[in-house]
Amino acid sequence: MKDAIQVRELKKSYGSHMILKGLDFQIEKGEIFALLGVNGSGKTTTLECIEGIRKYDSGAITVNGKMGIQLQSSSLPAHIKSMEAVKLFAKWNKTDIDYAMLNGLGIKEIEKKQYMQLSTGQKRRLHLALALIGNPDTIFLDEPTAGLDVEGRRSLHEQIRKLKSHGKTIVLASHDMAEVETLCDRIAILNNGTIVFCGTSSELTDQVGRTYFIHIKTQQGNSTFETDNIEDTLISLLGELKQKKIHVLDIKVNRGTLEQHFIEMAGREAE
Amino acid sequence: MNGFLYGVALQWKLDLRSKSLLVTCYIVPLIFFLLMGGIFTSVMPEMRNTLIQSMIVMSVSMGAFIGLPPSLIETYGSDVKKVYKANGVPIYLGLVTMFLSAFVHLMMNCVIILLLAPILFEAALPVQLPFFLLALAIYIIVSLSIGSVLGLIIKNQAKLTMIAQLVFLPSIMLSGIMFPVELLPDFLETTGRIFPASWGYQLMSDNGFCPEHLWYFMLVFCAAVIICAILLHKQKST
Repeated sequence: MKDAIQVRELKKSYGSHMILKGLDFQIEKGEIFALLGVNGSGKTTTLECIEGIRKYDSGAITVNGKMGIQLQSSSLPAHIKSMEAVKLFAKWNKTDIDYAMLNGLGIKEIEKKQYMQLSTGQKRRLHLALALIGNPDTIFLDEPTAGLDVEGRRSLHEQIRKLKSHGKTIVLASHDMAEVETLCDRIAILNNGTIVFCGTSSELTDQVGRTYFIHIKTQQGNSTFETDNIEDTLISLLGELKQKKIHVLDIKVNRGTLEQHFIEMAGREAE
Repeated sequence: MNGFLYGVALQWKLDLRSKSLLVTCYIVPLIFFLLMGGIFTSVMPEMRNTLIQSMIVMSVSMGAFIGLPPSLIETYGSDVKKVYKANGVPIYLGLVTMFLSAFVHLMMNCVIILLLAPILFEAALPVQLPFFLLALAIYIIVSLSIGSVLGLIIKNQAKLTMIAQLVFLPSIMLSGIMFPVELLPDFLETTGRIFPASWGYQLMSDNGFCPEHLWYFMLVFCAAVIICAILLHKQKST
């Protein structure tokens, strides 16, 4: 399968501070790819270099197909109405307006509202609609759910999944590990200007998540145990509880969340 | 309708919705015209001969230096510019559409003054109306080009308010619209010649069209276009 995006040896400095130190990764067509990193790790700079709105110092970026871009910090003139913005962007992209897409994003309900009257969620939906106007092959979403409530988040996740089902490639930059874990096919972790991991969530777990977490709920409360040897620890814990005649209500075993793995990976690199 | 024409028409609508442009392009200049027109013509009846030109200079200065730049900052000093850039809208669109829209608004305001002044204050109409309108158009274009430079160079509204006043007030006080420039000390008279208001006032007051007054406008306009192009290019390649 041809890559949607290829990034080779991407370098970018702001003054004397090198923010990207030679990034190498590729994004496959039709996948949801996430860029993870702490604040200042270079996620937004990487995306803006790929999107072509920021110049980079050296390296090569290849993007196959059309791009649609939803920026982290977006704005429009205060008095522009939602539908006017849609028409303006459609005319500049010489494309017809996809009313089905607009309806799906709920733009119809806010078409006569001025930008300054929109809620954060409505603004996000409008910017996503603007990013989709040119029927792009690859869609960049930078912190798409920041500031959204639970319902807004759920609705946006649904839209992202729908876009994937239509064969679109989605590139996501996010702080929200739960969001990334549920939505993304592959992730890249950016730390201190380099990619410290690139692969699937389960590959990351295999790489760093060797510790098991056992969560036991009893009548006396909740307890969590960490172990490298799941079998022995479980047998021993259950035996002990039985001996003490403590009734077990629930048991959960996992290998840590993406967030825990991310922290561990970032921590390793810092060392 | 193509993207550019739609952009111009849309900007025109946005300006009508924006109260700040309504205030700086219509309400304040017209209130000033109604008040000062009455005062000037009763205190100095001979001002009827230049009332239209004086009030137009005031209106254009206010619209160009105080009305246009904040709209430009709203686009070029904010994330609007990034959204345009990211979604295939050219970076110059905001500047060009705002310039054209402000030109039309100012022209309309000036036509209102031109029509009302003879009725309300028995002001003298320009002898050669077509030449007067041509001079007015040139003056508006050059004033807006200076306003464009202000709006692109200055990045925040508070600073802009201060700097715009530094251009607006001398334009009004030293151009000869309030009192004859001959009454000013030499250095203030010379200072007044830096601003387009005094040249515009002179160009519109000439009975006929004096091309020798045009060099200033050509020079300022060309300089402003070059500066705007450099500033836009800088924003594009950030």
